[in-house]
Amino acid sequence: MAHRGFVLIGLGGVIALVMAITVTGLSNNLTYYLYPTEAVDQKADFPDGERFRLAGLVVEGSLSEVDDALHFDVTDGGATIAVVLANTPPALFDENVPVLVEGAWAADIFEADTALIRHDENYQTPVEGNYEAPDN
Amino acid sequence: MLSFLGLAALLVALFGSILLTTRGISAARSERAQDKPQGEPKGQPEGEPEGEPLVDLKGPVWMLFSGAVVAMVAMQIGLLTDDFSLAYLANHHSSATPFPYDVATAWAALEGSILLWGVILAGFTVTVLRRHQLRPDRLGSAALAVMGGVAIFFFGLMVTVANPFEVCVQAAANGCIASSPWPFTAIEAPVNGPGPNPLLQNNYLMAIHPPMLYLGYVGLTVPFAYAIGALAIRYPGPEWLRRSHRSTLVAWSFLTIGIVLGGWWAYDVLSWGGYWAWDPVENASLMPWLVATAFLHSAIVQQRRNMLQAWNFVLVISAFALTILGTFLTRSGTINSVHSFTQSAIGPALLGFLVLVLVGSFTLFSTRAHLVSSSQRIESFVSREGAFLLNNLLLSIYAFIVLIGTTYPLILEAFTGTQVGVGEPFFNRLAVPLTFLLLLVMGFGPVTPWGHPAPELIWKRTRGPAVIGLAGGLATAVFVTRIGWVVLAVSLGLFVIGAIVGLLLEQSRRRAAKNRESLGSATKAVIATDPPFWAGQLSHVGVVMIAIGIAFAANLGAHLETSMVPGQTVTFAGHQITYESPFQEVHPNRTTRGARLSVTKGDRFVGDLEPAANFFGGGSAGVSTPDVLSGPRGDLYATLLNIDSGSATLTFDTSPLIWLLWLGGLVTAAGGILAVTTRRQERIRDDERQTVDV
Repeated sequence: MAHRGFVLIGLGGVIALVMAITVTGLSNNLTYYLYPTEAVDQKADFPDGERFRLAGLVVEGSLSEVDDALHFDVTDGGATIAVVLANTPPALFDENVPVLVEGAWAADIFEADTALIRHDENYQTPVEGNYEAPDN
Repeated sequence: MLSFLGLAALLVALFGSILLTTRGISAARSERAQDKPQGEPKGQPEGEPEGEPLVDLKGPVWMLFSGAVVAMVAMQIGLLTDDFSLAYLANHHSSATPFPYDVATAWAALEGSILLWGVILAGFTVTVLRRHQLRPDRLGSAALAVMGGVAIFFFGLMVTVANPFEVCVQAAANGCIASSPWPFTAIEAPVNGPGPNPLLQNNYLMAIHPPMLYLGYVGLTVPFAYAIGALAIRYPGPEWLRRSHRSTLVAWSFLTIGIVLGGWWAYDVLSWGGYWAWDPVENASLMPWLVATAFLHSAIVQQRRNMLQAWNFVLVISAFALTILGTFLTRSGTINSVHSFTQSAIGPALLGFLVLVLVGSFTLFSTRAHLVSSSQRIESFVSREGAFLLNNLLLSIYAFIVLIGTTYPLILEAFTGTQVGVGEPFFNRLAVPLTFLLLLVMGFGPVTPWGHPAPELIWKRTRGPAVIGLAGGLATAVFVTRIGWVVLAVSLGLFVIGAIVGLLLEQSRRRAAKNRESLGSATKAVIATDPPFWAGQLSHVGVVMIAIGIAFAANLGAHLETSMVPGQTVTFAGHQITYESPFQEVHPNRTTRGARLSVTKGDRFVGDLEPAANFFGGGSAGVSTPDVLSGPRGDLYATLLNIDSGSATLTFDTSPLIWLLWLGGLVTAAGGILAVTTRRQERIRDDERQTVDV
């Protein structure tokens, strides 16, 4: 019986260890998805440099290129945030396209280094004006 | 017309599956009534009653199969004749879509992919029937009933929320706005459709990748059916395991090919130079693979040592449940990923089915728990069974971590409303060390005898391979790189291969000396004594190749992003790349704009690269298509980011030794297929094997 007890304790230990590693791993690697309204509301929770993903629509007429960086505004219908994107955007990037940019606040500007296009399962960008605001 | 034909075929298949379930259940019951009273169920090796089955199951199975095939044929006729009265075609097909992409459009979107699922499920049901006809038995009848039950769900989906044969009743310029399930309503067909997803028209791999993946995914229904069947008729023991093991090998081989092809396609088409991103869609295919791999190993422990039976039931049920969970995650629109699939009514249905499978299976399992427990105790942890236990523990932890990382965002959003993403570092930080531990066990396992082996024997068999591994690691560190993961991958990889080759040599030499034959014929004879074992070792070699390929490609690649004008030359990773000229090609279904580059290395011409962007009709923006130059040392990968009249913005990447990854995947799957095809001979040689493999 001592044999079985030993095995159970060992197994319990392994499970506890795996859970601990998983939970710490998760909490260190979570990226929050926020819409502009949420990002403005929770600005206190995300100090400059704290990374998160900002999801919204590129505002028409806001796109410009200054010194190899793209400047544009992202909106969810409520708040609008000015974004500076340092890297080259993906192929489908344009005005009126729903995007997911990853980066952090730098004062009142969102400095992003990655941009992703949110597309549907057909990998086609939504038709202009067909953007659905988040339900919250 | 096609809509009517398709829907009618689906209804026939649905009726066949209902009939199969009810008749299968009554067959399993009536055959039991005939059966002699059972003694200790575990001890009976082949105690199935012989003779003709009382209930005919052939009819329902063929009804299911022919219904599914006719439905698929109707879909293909529609695609080949450009019948845009079908809403599915109006939305996903275009008359300009070339062969074979028009055929593959049948599974390019949701409804069609469920249809493919149904056809493959029907095909697998036929294979279960064929084994059943060889020797009529209650286990087979019960398994067929389970197959029928799963088929009811999928064909039920197709005649309700995911009907691939809905007709278009309100057409748009390029697609269908409203559709109806009734074949004889007033049809308004568009002149043309937008065509399938542009990314699916870029590469032939996309025509084979989904069917392969589905053969693997759906194939895992078969072992599940045998497991549930065995529990339902209170008949655990070696028979369900033998059949589950065999059918899992089949499914696992296809799943391996499917996953590797998916990575290959992503690499060749998606222009980010990668093949794996821990995306929910990818994780959905990896989780059942990991669990099925665990089962392939623990099944051997039950066959040889009569241990772990309960655990094997858990693995088989989990593997199947994970395929349903994976389909739910990728098809319901619940996961907020870049892939975010559109919301559809199929989500709740899949979730309901998943809950039913889990609750039903584990309730059944717990009521039969007293039948499935194994009394055998492990003698020593330093043994083959100990290595298998460790392997199962590691693979389960692996699958668990992927599961948590994939579903955590979903759970968190359900409870708190917060949307999060789990980053790649989470998966990499845990999966990489686990993979290396698995490789370590993979080196020790096959050379460790069963039972209570002498540690000296294990040491004798592993010290040579260990020296080879260390020498290889040292050579890598001196001549190639000091990056720890790469050095470790080479060391462990050589250790595993060295152990396998060493074991083969040891047994061959012993046999050659005993029988006075040449080493070559002795080697052949040793392999022929236990082909599935050596097929498994071939899979291990494949896994080693994958690990080394990933380690090199992920750690030693170079990257450059640059703007070039025609005539300009850049030097990148020892290559001179010259931008010759821009080009434009007009195809029936797309316009391609790209940059023509020539690559030289010193004075030697290496090849041309033509990274491009494809512009499809239907108002979609350009899709970038990378171009790759492959060589024995690895790939040179070029992507076009942007092209104006003069200048082109390009990225260049190197992927050292990446071909090892693709080839390793095929070798791994080949091992699985060989293990299936040689298993029948194995049973005949059972007695001989017992004496040799120690």
